Amino acid sequence: MIHVPERYSRQAIFQGIGSAGQEKIGHSRVAIIGLGALGTVIANNLVRAGVGYIRLIDRDFVELSNLQRQTIFDEADVSEQLPKAVAAAQHLGRVNSEITLEAIVSDVNAANIETLLTDVDLVMDGTDNFETRFLLNDICLKKNISWVHGAVLGSYGLTANIIPGQTPCYRCFMPEIPDTGASGTCSSAGVLNMITGIISSYASAEAVKILVGSSDVRKAALFIDVWNNSFHSKELSRQSDCPACVKHEYHYLTKEKGTYTTLLCGQKAVQIVPGQVRKMDFSDILKRLAHVGEIKSNRFLLRLKIHEIEITLFADGRAIIKNVENENKAKALYTEYFGL
Amino acid sequence: MIYLDNAATSWPKPESVYQMVDKVMRQIGANPGRSGHTMAIEAGRLVQETRELAAALFAIPHPSQVVFTLNVTDSLNLALKGLLQPGDHVITSSMEHNAMARPLEALCKNGVTVTKVATSPVNGISLREIQNAIQANTKLIAITHASNVTGTLNPIGEIGQIAKAFGVAFLVDCAQTAGVFPINVQEMGIDLLAFPGHKSLLGCQGVGGLYVHKGITLKTLREGGTGSHSESLEQPDELPERYESGTLNTSGIAGLGAGIRYIMETGMEKIKQREEELTNLLVAGLAKIPGVVLYGPPLGQQRAAVVSFNLEQISANELCMILDQSFQIAVRPGLHCAPDAHRVLGTLQGGTIRISPGYFTTEEEIETCLQAITAIGKELVEEMR
Repeated sequence: MIHVPERYSRQAIFQGIGSAGQEKIGHSRVAIIGLGALGTVIANNLVRAGVGYIRLIDRDFVELSNLQRQTIFDEADVSEQLPKAVAAAQHLGRVNSEITLEAIVSDVNAANIETLLTDVDLVMDGTDNFETRFLLNDICLKKNISWVHGAVLGSYGLTANIIPGQTPCYRCFMPEIPDTGASGTCSSAGVLNMITGIISSYASAEAVKILVGSSDVRKAALFIDVWNNSFHSKELSRQSDCPACVKHEYHYLTKEKGTYTTLLCGQKAVQIVPGQVRKMDFSDILKRLAHVGEIKSNRFLLRLKIHEIEITLFADGRAIIKNVENENKAKALYTEYFGL
Repeated sequence: MIYLDNAATSWPKPESVYQMVDKVMRQIGANPGRSGHTMAIEAGRLVQETRELAAALFAIPHPSQVVFTLNVTDSLNLALKGLLQPGDHVITSSMEHNAMARPLEALCKNGVTVTKVATSPVNGISLREIQNAIQANTKLIAITHASNVTGTLNPIGEIGQIAKAFGVAFLVDCAQTAGVFPINVQEMGIDLLAFPGHKSLLGCQGVGGLYVHKGITLKTLREGGTGSHSESLEQPDELPERYESGTLNTSGIAGLGAGIRYIMETGMEKIKQREEELTNLLVAGLAKIPGVVLYGPPLGQQRAAVVSFNLEQISANELCMILDQSFQIAVRPGLHCAPDAHRVLGTLQGGTIRISPGYFTTEEEIETCLQAITAIGKELVEEMR
C-alpha cells in the first residue's frame, strides 16, 4: 500500500488515478512552454495536482493586459516587471513547496529547444504562435515525447493530444504556417478568459491521464466556442506524406524554416525575417490594429507606432522593430501583432 | 536579382574561377606541401601559382613574401599585432574599417598609442597632417587605400614616400582597390599590404593575403604544422611558412589564382574604366533624385566603386529591405563595419545605403536601381494613407 500525502487525498481517492497514479504523477517531469493564458492555468493545475518537477519557460514579462486572463499573476508582478517564468515560480512555489519548479526566462528556438526539453516526460503547449508549435512538434517526434496542444483566440479554442507513434502529429492537420497576418493574434482579435480556462483545464486533464498511463486519453481533437455555443470533437487523421511524422524531416528543427532575427548595427533596432515568405494584407492589418497605436501604410511598408516602439512591416512579412531592448522582445512584439 | 553589393563580396565570378574551384575539389584534393605524392605536389603547385600571380599583380619582389590568410581582417591582425609592441605609436586615418580600427583599439589597451588623422570624405587623408602626427616612437602608418563607405581614395604613393623619409613602416589595406587600381609595393613604398581574395580579385571567401617586406619580421599569431622543418618544435623563420600554419584553403587559393589571371587577361585598366563608368552613372543618377543625400567624392572625381547615400524620407535599413523585396535589388544598409567613417560623415545613427557595382554590372541594372529609388522616394513623400 502506497502512502498518499494528505495534500493529494481528494485526487488520489478518485478511481481513475488512485494511489499508484498519484505516485506516478509525483515522479513525473513536465515542461510548460509559454506562461500566458493557457500556460498559467495549466501550471496552476499541475502544481496543485502534484507533478514532481515542472519547468516553466517564457521569454516575456508580466504586463497589465495579461491580468485579465493569466490567473496566477497580480498587479505587483506588473509593477515589478517580473519575467513571467519567475513570477509563476514564485506564486506557485507558495502553493506547493514539495515539488520542484524551475523558471527559465528564454525564447524557445531551434538552437535551444533540445536542451530546454531534456529529461521531461511531457510537454504542455502554452505558446502563442505557430512557429514554436512546429518546432515543438519536430523535437517531440524526434525525442518521442508526448505533448498536449492548446490554442485559443477570441471565444474559440481547441486542444489535441499529440503522442508520437499513436496519434497524428501537429503538421498532419497544420501542414504549413497559415497566412493569418494580424487577424490571428490576441492583440487584434481579443481573447476571453473563460475559453482559455476551459481549454487549459481540458489540456491539464489530458496531461494527468497521460502521466498516469490511463486508457481514457482522448484521441480526438476538441473544438469549443463559448460565445457561439459550439462544442465538438473530431478524430484527426495522419497525412500519408506528412514531412514530420511520416518522413521524419524536421524542417523547423534544422532551421530550414524558422524566424531569423538580427540586431542592426548602431541603433536599438532588430530585423525580423520569418522562415517563409508571407503575404501581408496591409489594408486588413490597418483595420485590425487601428486601436493599438498610430498606424499607416503605402505600397511598400506599414508603420505601426506604439509609444516609443516603431514597427516597420514589409509586404513579405519581414519587419524592422525600433527601440527594443533585444531580439527576444522584438520577436515577442512581432508575434503579438502579426503572428508567427 | 540585381547584385550591387560588390564592396562586400564580388558576385558573380568569372566562369574560370568556378571551374578551377570545382576542378581542385574533385581532382586535386590532396594536402599541398605535406607529401611527395603526385596529387600533393599538384596541389602545392596550384598554391605556388597563385602566390606568383599575386606577387606579379602587386610587383612584390619574391612570391614567398606573399602570405595566405583567411581574409583582409586576418592579414591586418597579423600585420598589426605581429609588428607593434608596447610603447609604439601608429598613425591611421579617421575613416578606417573595423578590420583596422578594432585591432588597433585592442593594441591601445596594451601600451600602443594611435593617432587618428582627420580624414576628408571627399579628398581623403592629408599628407601634411600625417607628417605633423609623426613622433619619435612612430613605428607604423596604417591606412586604407579606399574607404569602404564612400570609396574615397587615399594617396598611398605619397604616404609611402613620407613613411620612407621618416623611417616608418607602411601598412596598406587594399580591400576595396586590389584588382582594380594599380598597386606597386616597391614604387609606393609599401611594407605590408593586406588584400582580400573575394572582392575585386574575384576569388572565394575565406582567402586573403599579406605581403611582408623583406626587412620585417612579425611575431606569429599562430604556430603549427607547416610541412617543413618538422623535426623542430620552433616555428620556422622562412616565409611564407612562418605565418602559414595548418592546411591552407587550396581550392579557395586556386580560385583566387583564377580570378587574378582573369584580371590580368582582361586588363586592369579596362576593369577600372568600366567600374568608373558605372559609378559615374550611379552618382549622376542619384544626385537627380529628390531627397537623396550623397556622401563622399563628387561626380567625376576618382574613387573606388563604392557609393553611399541616404534618402531623407526613410532609414537606410528600410530602403534596403524595400529594394530587396519589391525590386530584387541587393545593396547594403547600415554602418558597413566602419563606425569611424560614419562619425566623420555624421551618419553614426542608422548609417547609409551603400551601392557597389562590379565589373559584371550592366548599365541597365544601374538604371533599374535608380528608377526603383526614385519610385520609392516619390511614394514616400506622398501622404501615406
